[in-house]
Amino acid sequence: MKILNQIENFFGTLSKRLTKHPIVPFLIFGFVIASIGFLPHTGFIRWGTMGIYAYIVIFTVVAMGLNLLLGFSGLISLGTAGFVGAGALGLGVFMNMGIPFEIAALLVLIIAGSIGALIGLFSLKVEGIYLAIATLFVGEILRQIYTQVEIFGGQAIRIGTVRFLGFINLSMINQTQRSFLFLIITILMVLMMIIMHNIVKSKTGRALMAISRSQHAAQAMGISLLKYRLTAFILATLFATFGGIMYGLYFQNVPTTAWTLDLSLFVIAMVVVGGLKSIYGTFLGVFIIHGVPNLWLKNVFGDISYIFSGILIILVIIFYPYGFIYIWYDLKKIYFKYKARWSKKKVTDHE
Amino acid sequence: MSKPILVLDNVCMYFGGLKAVDNLSFTVNEGEIVGLIGPNGAGKTTVFNCITQFYKEYTGDIYFINNDVKKDLRDIKVTEIINQGLVRTFQNVELIPDLSILDNLLIGAHNQYETGIISHILRTKKAREEEQVLKEKAYEILKFLNIFELKDFYVKGQPYGVMKKIEIARTLMSNPKMIILDEPAAGLNDRETDELENLIYEIKKKFNTTILLIEHDMGFVMNICDRIVAINFGKFLAMDTPKNIQKNKDVQEAYLGSDA
Ligand SMILES: Nc1ncnc2c1ncn2[C@@H]1O[C@H](COP(=O)(O)OP(=O)(O)OP(=O)(O)O)[C@@H](O)[C@H]1O
Ligand SMILES: [Mg+2]
Repeated sequence: MKILNQIENFFGTLSKRLTKHPIVPFLIFGFVIASIGFLPHTGFIRWGTMGIYAYIVIFTVVAMGLNLLLGFSGLISLGTAGFVGAGALGLGVFMNMGIPFEIAALLVLIIAGSIGALIGLFSLKVEGIYLAIATLFVGEILRQIYTQVEIFGGQAIRIGTVRFLGFINLSMINQTQRSFLFLIITILMVLMMIIMHNIVKSKTGRALMAISRSQHAAQAMGISLLKYRLTAFILATLFATFGGIMYGLYFQNVPTTAWTLDLSLFVIAMVVVGGLKSIYGTFLGVFIIHGVPNLWLKNVFGDISYIFSGILIILVIIFYPYGFIYIWYDLKKIYFKYKARWSKKKVTDHE
Repeated sequence: MSKPILVLDNVCMYFGGLKAVDNLSFTVNEGEIVGLIGPNGAGKTTVFNCITQFYKEYTGDIYFINNDVKKDLRDIKVTEIINQGLVRTFQNVELIPDLSILDNLLIGAHNQYETGIISHILRTKKAREEEQVLKEKAYEILKFLNIFELKDFYVKGQPYGVMKKIEIARTLMSNPKMIILDEPAAGLNDRETDELENLIYEIKKKFNTTILLIEHDMGFVMNICDRIVAINFGKFLAMDTPKNIQKNKDVQEAYLGSDA
């Protein structure tokens, strides 16, 4: 009996610990998303739409980086697309030189991270609208480089089959392998979500919020504006570049002309519509801005489906200035209110 | 017995042509509660900003003496002041509205973390333990201030009295030798003011700190302070015990106008 009790206790605390562990919801979320990659085999969704889901997964990572800037640090960047392009095209260039995927990815991250640090340094000198303009030009310069400079080679860079971890060949063209590529980028997204979660719940996340909410308090508490503005820009750049690497890995063919200001603005819209400071909100925003028009509306309305995004942004700004994810919190509040009222009623009925 | 901890020596601070602080000298001793008073616009907040190095353009010298080491504060960056054991609050509560009260306190412990961002990302054992230790310290302070139950709520939406307490709680996270408070009782009702009075005594005893505070509520200042510095138009008027300050002609004049 004693032993049985002990075993029960053990599993009791284990399951309690598991359900309470902060990364568990991310893993469940990842599991659900990853299954999308295998649905086309069952005929539930068309193969043709998988690219849209992959794009959502990839841009969730990119937009999380921007959320660190916009939502947490109160800074803005209009150069996001340039860094996604840096990730994807840089990966292509290095891999075409014969460098293995993992090393190429690392190189790209290091280079892009350094550029992010430079912008961070610059951001100390300029504020608000001037910072926006400065990042706009960084993005434009990067875009020009991709379309004009020879090594990026014209319309697109073909990466082709990726040798993953040195022994698994994965090609986008093979349907089974494509499912596995989708699985890999989903795992990477979940990994970045956990990293983001751990950053924002740490000293760094609090410091980022302090420098944007109250510079005075931040300084008096010993938080250096320099250090944390740099941190914010480096992190945002790394997330964007990482998204670019995921793009190269999954699509294996990277256009040189796609990394425009339009795209940067869409990423901002994703963060604003989905939820400032919210990880799931970021995913929701990407889904609403990219997924909804491309999966459903385009079939019906064609190109004007982007009017939908425009209207959504206006609605959000009016009703949910921190993003749609906050509807969820409101619903929760209503639920608890009614629950409280209901249980009270039960008590009074008894009396 | 009286060991100086903070020394202001001929401090002047100009804003353009305006002399906000004019040749001000005074000394605060270890373990004292000192009040800094003066009419609106007398330059009190400016003095605090000079001490905590938010302004560096002052002339004269400000020294802080901790464990018999005398430091010229001008040589210290604004973000390093807290590491000297000197920490402040603000006249207009400066908190992070969309963080929980607990997280706001942890910001006060920012410089005590030894683990870096990589260990936080990986949630290493050391990082988790360190966070836990600091959280427990925050719990203790929150209990001491009677706001422990609120710890997980956002600062946004809290009553003003609670926000004032959070700001004080945050200063305590940094193991301060000296706390400087800019109008801690402003906006509080009578009951809250009385509570704050006790609280400041208790803080001085429990945390063994020196306190310098600006306050307009004369009753409060007279009750709580060991000594009071009065200034007007940035100029030193007097520094004395509350009783003597009340009797001081210059101070009466500054508050009531010259015909008093
Ligand atoms: N940043 C600044 N630039 C220009 N003038 C300033 C600045 N800060 C304060 N002053 C001026 O310096 C003088 C002293 O201001 P300070 O805020 O130190 O007064 P105070 O004694 O704290 O007043 P209060 O009791 O109203 O808080 C005032 O005349 C004020 O207008
Ligand atoms: Mg003031």
